[in-house]
Amino acid sequence: MAGAAALPHPGLIAAGLLAALIMAALAGLASAGGTATLMPGPYLWGVVRGAASQAALSTVLSLLLGTALALALTRRSSFPGRRLLMAVMTAATVAPTIVIIFGLVAMFGRSAPLPALAASLGLTLPAIYGLHGIVLAHVVMNAPLVARVLMAAVAATPAEQTRLGQMLRFNPLDCLRHLDGPVIRREWPGLAAFIFLLCFTSFAVVLSLGGGPANATLEVAIYQALKLDVDFARAAGIALLQIMLSLAFVLAFSAIGARLPDAPGQARGQTRPDAGSRLLFWIDGAVIACAMLLIAPVVLSVLSGLGQLPSLVGADVARAALTSAVLAAIAAALAVLLALLLASAAEAAPLGRASPGRARLVELAVLALLGLPPFALVTGLFVLLRGTGSVSGIGLVLVPLINALMALPFVYRLLAPPLRQSAERHGRLSTSLGLSGVAHLRIVAWPALRRPLMAALALAAALSMGDFGVIALFGGGDLVTLPYLMAERMGAYRLDEAGAIALVLVASATALTFLADRA
Amino acid sequence: MMILRWIIAAFALIVFSLPSLAQTKPVLTVYSYSGFTGKYGPGPKIKERFEAVCSCTLEWVATENSGALLGRLRLEGENTRADIALGLDINILAEARATGLFIPHGQPLDGLALAWNDATFLPFDHGHMAFIYNADKLAQPPKSLRELVDSPNGPRIVLQDPRTSQPGLSFLLWMRKVYGDKADDAWVRLKPRIVTFTKGWSEAYGMFLKGEADMVLSYTTSPAYHISAEKKTNFRAAPFNEGHYLYVETGALLRTSKQPELARRFIAFMLSDAFQSAIPEGNWMYPVKTPADGLPPSFADLIRPTETLAFTPEEVMANRRGFIESWQSAISR
Repeated sequence: MAGAAALPHPGLIAAGLLAALIMAALAGLASAGGTATLMPGPYLWGVVRGAASQAALSTVLSLLLGTALALALTRRSSFPGRRLLMAVMTAATVAPTIVIIFGLVAMFGRSAPLPALAASLGLTLPAIYGLHGIVLAHVVMNAPLVARVLMAAVAATPAEQTRLGQMLRFNPLDCLRHLDGPVIRREWPGLAAFIFLLCFTSFAVVLSLGGGPANATLEVAIYQALKLDVDFARAAGIALLQIMLSLAFVLAFSAIGARLPDAPGQARGQTRPDAGSRLLFWIDGAVIACAMLLIAPVVLSVLSGLGQLPSLVGADVARAALTSAVLAAIAAALAVLLALLLASAAEAAPLGRASPGRARLVELAVLALLGLPPFALVTGLFVLLRGTGSVSGIGLVLVPLINALMALPFVYRLLAPPLRQSAERHGRLSTSLGLSGVAHLRIVAWPALRRPLMAALALAAALSMGDFGVIALFGGGDLVTLPYLMAERMGAYRLDEAGAIALVLVASATALTFLADRA
Repeated sequence: MMILRWIIAAFALIVFSLPSLAQTKPVLTVYSYSGFTGKYGPGPKIKERFEAVCSCTLEWVATENSGALLGRLRLEGENTRADIALGLDINILAEARATGLFIPHGQPLDGLALAWNDATFLPFDHGHMAFIYNADKLAQPPKSLRELVDSPNGPRIVLQDPRTSQPGLSFLLWMRKVYGDKADDAWVRLKPRIVTFTKGWSEAYGMFLKGEADMVLSYTTSPAYHISAEKKTNFRAAPFNEGHYLYVETGALLRTSKQPELARRFIAFMLSDAFQSAIPEGNWMYPVKTPADGLPPSFADLIRPTETLAFTPEEVMANRRGFIESWQSAISR
C-alpha cells in the first residue's frame, strides 16, 4: 500500500474538482461583465434577514409536523395506506414546484373549498399569498422528508430497547422520553440544517406565493441580477454570498451537533409499548389526517390531469419523456458515484489513525451544497464553455451534472451511514483477509449498500426528473424534458395538457420511490 | 448490469438523433422562445413553409422568453451560432441594440399595420396589454385603469412580476404612462387587490383560469384563444379609456451570421403571407401585415384600443431600473 499512499484518495480528488468547478463557474460569471460589488448593500441584507426568518419558521413547522407524522406512522404500523402515503409524500418533495403551487392554490386559494368552508363557519382564512403561503408550501415539501428520516431512525432502534420498554410497562410519555426522544434529539439538528438551507434558497415558491417583492431570497436576487439587470458580476457576488452564508449556517448548526441525519435500517416489527394508548390513537389519527389534508390538494390537482392524458400522445411527449429519463439516469448515477467517492474518502483512514474530523468536514461540505445557487452556476459554466460546442451538447453534459450536485446532499444522506456502518463492522476483518478494491466492494460493501443504493438512485432520479430551473437555460431545440414541455404548454394556453404532464411526472416519482422502498 | 446497458442504449439514441453534422443543406439557426417554437406556437408551420422555399434547414433554438433570449445572446456574444433572433420585444430593444450584435434589416417599413421606423428590429407581430375577465363572473369590469386603481371593492387581479416577466414590465410602464410620478401612490392603492405577482405570464393566467383572481394581465388578443380553441366567448378583455400599453415583437439579423444571404431571405420572409398568416392563431397576436385571407373569425369581436400608450425603447432602458426600485419599495410598504 506504500505506493498508493502517495496518491490522494479518489474521493478527495473528486471533492477538489467539485470545489474547483464551483469556483470556476463563479469566476466565469464574474468575468462576463457587470459591476462587482463585494459588500452587499442594505437591500441584500434585508433579503437575507427576511429569508432567514422565513426559513427558520418553515424549518420549525416542518420538523414538528414531520416528527408527529413519523411517530404516528411508527405507532400505527398496521395502517394500510402507510407505504403509499409515504411514497406520495416523497413525490411531493421532488415534484416540480409549480405542481405544488397549483395544488395549494386549488385547496387554499380564493375559490378553493377550504376558505369557502371557513367562510360558512364565519371565519376568514388569510389569503395564501404572502409569508404564510411560502411557509405552507415549504412544510408540504419538507415535512415528508423529516417523517421519512425519523421513521427510519426510530425503526433502527435496537429491538432490545423496545422489548425492555414493554417489560417495564412504559406509558406513552416514557416511550417518548426514553425510546423516541434520544433518536429525535440526535436527528433534529441535521434535519434542521438540511431544511433550513432548502428554504433559505427557495425560488419558485417564493416568487409565486410570496405575493410581491417584500418576500424574497438571495436566489431571487441572483435571478434578478442575471435576467433583469444582466449584471453577471453582481449575480456572481450574490451567489458567493449565498454560498458563504450556507457554510456559516452549516457551521452554526454543527455547533449544536448537526450532522447529516442518519437514514435507513430495518423495521424490526416490534409492537411498541405505547401502541395501545387510546389517547395516542386519536392523536395519531389526527396527525395522519392532517398530513393527508396537506398532501391531498397536490394529489387531487395532479389527478385532474387524468382526463387529458390522451392529448399527450405524440412524438414530442415521447421524446421528452425519453430525454427526461436519460438525463435523470445520468444525474442519478453521477450523484451516487460522487456520494460513494466522498463517503469512502471520509471514512478512509489508515488503521489506528482514525480521523473523525475529516468525516465531519466532508459531511458539512456536502450539506452546504444545498446552498448552491443553480442559476449562477449554470450561467457561469455556460460562459466558460461557450463556443466549444452546440448549446444542446453543452446542456447534455451540464444539466445532469448540476442536477447531480443538487441531489448529492440527499443521496449522501442515504449512502454515508450504511457505508460507515459497514466499515465499522467489517473493516478490520476485510483488511485482515487482504480484501481490497473491487473484492472489498463486492463481498463486503455491496450487501449492506444494495438497498440504500436503490433508494438513493430513485430519489436522485426523481429529483432531477422534476428539475425545471436548470433545464430552462438549456432546453429547446434538441434538449426538451417533460418539465420543459410542461412550461411550454402552459405558455401556449394549454393548461390542461400541462396538468397531464404534471401527472406523468408525479406518478413516475411516486413509482420510483415506492419501488425503491420495496427493493 | 441490465440497467447500465439500457442507459447506454438510450444515451446513444439521443446522441444520434441530434442533427447530424454531415448535413448537405445549409442550416439557418433562429433563436426564439419556447412558446413560439413549441407544438402549439407558429414555429412548426413557419419552419415547414420556409424550408419549402429556401432549400435549407431551419433550426429553432428556444429560450424561456424574450428576456432570456437577449440574455443568451449577450452571454454568447460574437461566438453565437444564431443567424436570426426572433421575439425580442419592444421593451428590451434599446438594450439589444447596445450589444452591437445586430445589423440593419433592410426591409421597407411602409404598409405595416403599426407605425414603425426602426432600421434594425423588424416587427412581426403586435398587440396591446389588457386585463382579461370572465364575463360570467364579473359583470361590470372597470372602464379605466384609474377606476381599477381607485375602487376599494373592485375586482382582484393577478399580475406578473416586472422583474422576471415581460408582461409584468409592460404593466409597470403602463402605470407610469397613466400616473407619471404619482405611480407609486397608485400602486399602494391598488396593492390590496393584487392577489400575487407571478414569475411569468403562464402562472398568472393559470391562476386566473383556476378562479384565483377576477382579472389577469394579458393581451387584448387572449379571448381569441378561448373563442377558437375552446368555443368559449365569456373571456373578454376590458377596454380602458386611458388607452392600452403597446406590445411589439421583432426579429433581427445577427452581424456574425455565417449565412448572411439565407438570414436576409428569412427576414424578408417574416413579412410574407406564409409567415404572417401563422401568427394570429399560433402566437395569438396581431400580424403586422394582414394576411390575404384576412384575420381569422376568432379575432372579429376583439376590442381594438384607439389610444396606444408606449415609452420608446430608449426611455425604457434609461428608466427601467429606477421604475422597478420605486415599485419595489412602494409595494413593500
